[in-house]
Amino acid sequence: MAEKVGQIVPESVLKKQKRAEEWALVKKQEVASLKEKKAANRKLIYNRAKDYAKEYAAQERELIQLKREARLKGGFYVNPEAKLLFIIRIRGINAMHPTTKKILQLLRLRQIFNGVFLKVNKATVNMLHRVEPYVTFGYPNLKSVRELIYKRGFGKVNKQRIALTDNSIIEQTLGKHGIICIEDLIHEILSVGPHFKEANNFFWPFQLSAPLGGLERKRNHYVEGGDAGNREDYINELIRRMN
Amino acid sequence: MSAAAARPLVTVQSLESDMATDANSVPLPDVMKAAIRPDIVTFVHGQISKNARQPYAVSKRAGHQTSAQSWGTGRAVSRIPRVSGGGTHRAGQGAFGNMCRGGRMFAPTRIWRRWHRQVNVTQKRHAVVSAIAASAVPSLVLARGHRIEEVPELPLVVSDAAEAVEKTSAALKVLKQIGAHPDAEKAKDSQAIRAGKGKARNRRYVSRKGPLVVYGNEGAKLVKAFRNIPGVEVAHVSRLNLLKLAPGGHLGRAKMVNADLARIINSDEVQSVVKPIKKELKRAPLKKNPLKNLNVMLKLNPYAKAAKRMALLAEAQRVKAKQDKLDKKRKSITKDEALAINSASKSWYKTMISDSDYTEFENFTKWLGASQ
Repeated sequence: MAEKVGQIVPESVLKKQKRAEEWALVKKQEVASLKEKKAANRKLIYNRAKDYAKEYAAQERELIQLKREARLKGGFYVNPEAKLLFIIRIRGINAMHPTTKKILQLLRLRQIFNGVFLKVNKATVNMLHRVEPYVTFGYPNLKSVRELIYKRGFGKVNKQRIALTDNSIIEQTLGKHGIICIEDLIHEILSVGPHFKEANNFFWPFQLSAPLGGLERKRNHYVEGGDAGNREDYINELIRRMN
Repeated sequence: MSAAAARPLVTVQSLESDMATDANSVPLPDVMKAAIRPDIVTFVHGQISKNARQPYAVSKRAGHQTSAQSWGTGRAVSRIPRVSGGGTHRAGQGAFGNMCRGGRMFAPTRIWRRWHRQVNVTQKRHAVVSAIAASAVPSLVLARGHRIEEVPELPLVVSDAAEAVEKTSAALKVLKQIGAHPDAEKAKDSQAIRAGKGKARNRRYVSRKGPLVVYGNEGAKLVKAFRNIPGVEVAHVSRLNLLKLAPGGHLGRAKMVNADLARIINSDEVQSVVKPIKKELKRAPLKKNPLKNLNVMLKLNPYAKAAKRMALLAEAQRVKAKQDKLDKKRKSITKDEALAINSASKSWYKTMISDSDYTEFENFTKWLGASQ
């Protein structure tokens, strides 16, 4: 409202103008501070990713070293039991016993070729035993975890399935546990850290494609030449075909 | 509806208790310029008004409290089930059917009928917005039957002093000052006993609807002052009820609005339905695969570039080292040497063939079936 000579500008209009100005100022300040924070964050994420890369490489070399040492002395080095599992549901929905149906629901495997990560302990192992004919599982390696999370990682934000296109999405939900970027997430999952539960639950169940090249025989256990049950390290090969 | 259009000013009616220096006009809130959609309002109103219903049904045992049995054929009576026993009028009478006297009705009404209706929140908001907008259109308000001949302007905005009114007599005076009294009078005059059975069902009186007073501040005294005036209803701006804004599904309730309200309404949730907020909704970007798209990967993991670079360098180094190692072990030969080796191998092959030749073999080929 232009102020003509002699005419009174309505007070409410003045008030509105002032409010708009205040809002604009606050917004500018916010944008500036956000920018600063983002820059600092970037640096932090870079360093963390570097440390993790070193850590993974060190772990690999350590394993090889221990094996060589043991062989040298004529003994054997036994790998420590795996802490992390990746489960894939390989059977459909129909004609299921209600208890196994419920267990699969608890594991968040509600659809065929859905995958989830799982911590290994007596409780989960017993659960898996009950649903063996419906799933296949094994011990994923770094490449499997990385590729799954980068390509098919979606987060549960506000009960919605949101793609992980930016670290801010992760920071919003998991920031309070110290997980602020995708590399943090990967590290937490791989090493089954103290906040594995939150990190794992943050992921929507992975929706994988049907495996290229097919499954062998769904109705048999892996040891019988089929697909169900624990296939330990060979899960990685299956993940390559399904991711 | 362009938000950029000029916002006409609405004059605020001042009451006698007002100070002369107060703001005397206020820009029209965007809500009042929204599209008026009677179809949405009728739909939403119809749905929402079902939500206060109490269930009704006949007793679930009605008509079945007998042990009636059909007499079958051969007795010169119809085959309807008949009440067993004897010694009373009821014996032998038909039972159970909807056609029988004392039988159960067809399709007995049940309490699990779906009484309530869901309506999408956006639709509900849209209807409220339409109704608010309609209350600013004099022809609509008149058509609904309100007496607004003496109202100076629609939408009727009153200064904030009205919120402090405590006594109903003062409230009536306020109504007279701003010209809303004829509407309230009409409501008072129209009080009558309801036609129909409703009067025996606790709905004895009906009357017309008068003005709706909308206020902005919680706990304003005007609520108590205005509520006892027949026909007048009171509403807080953040809890506007479509059933009050468009009674009977008809748009255009006469409304008296508080001056500050314009600001409140502007920042209402309502705005987002009518006029999309200027800052655009940030749509979720299409997810691109970070394992294939380097820029997206860098966004997520800034270290990826360095890692990739190091990996490439390491690979190049490895290849070079291997090549050097091989070159050191392998000695290259001159062309003459290579020729010599080649011819030697060819002649060796020939001698090998000729050596394995022996003359008697031809005699055996016939029955051996072997070939040279």
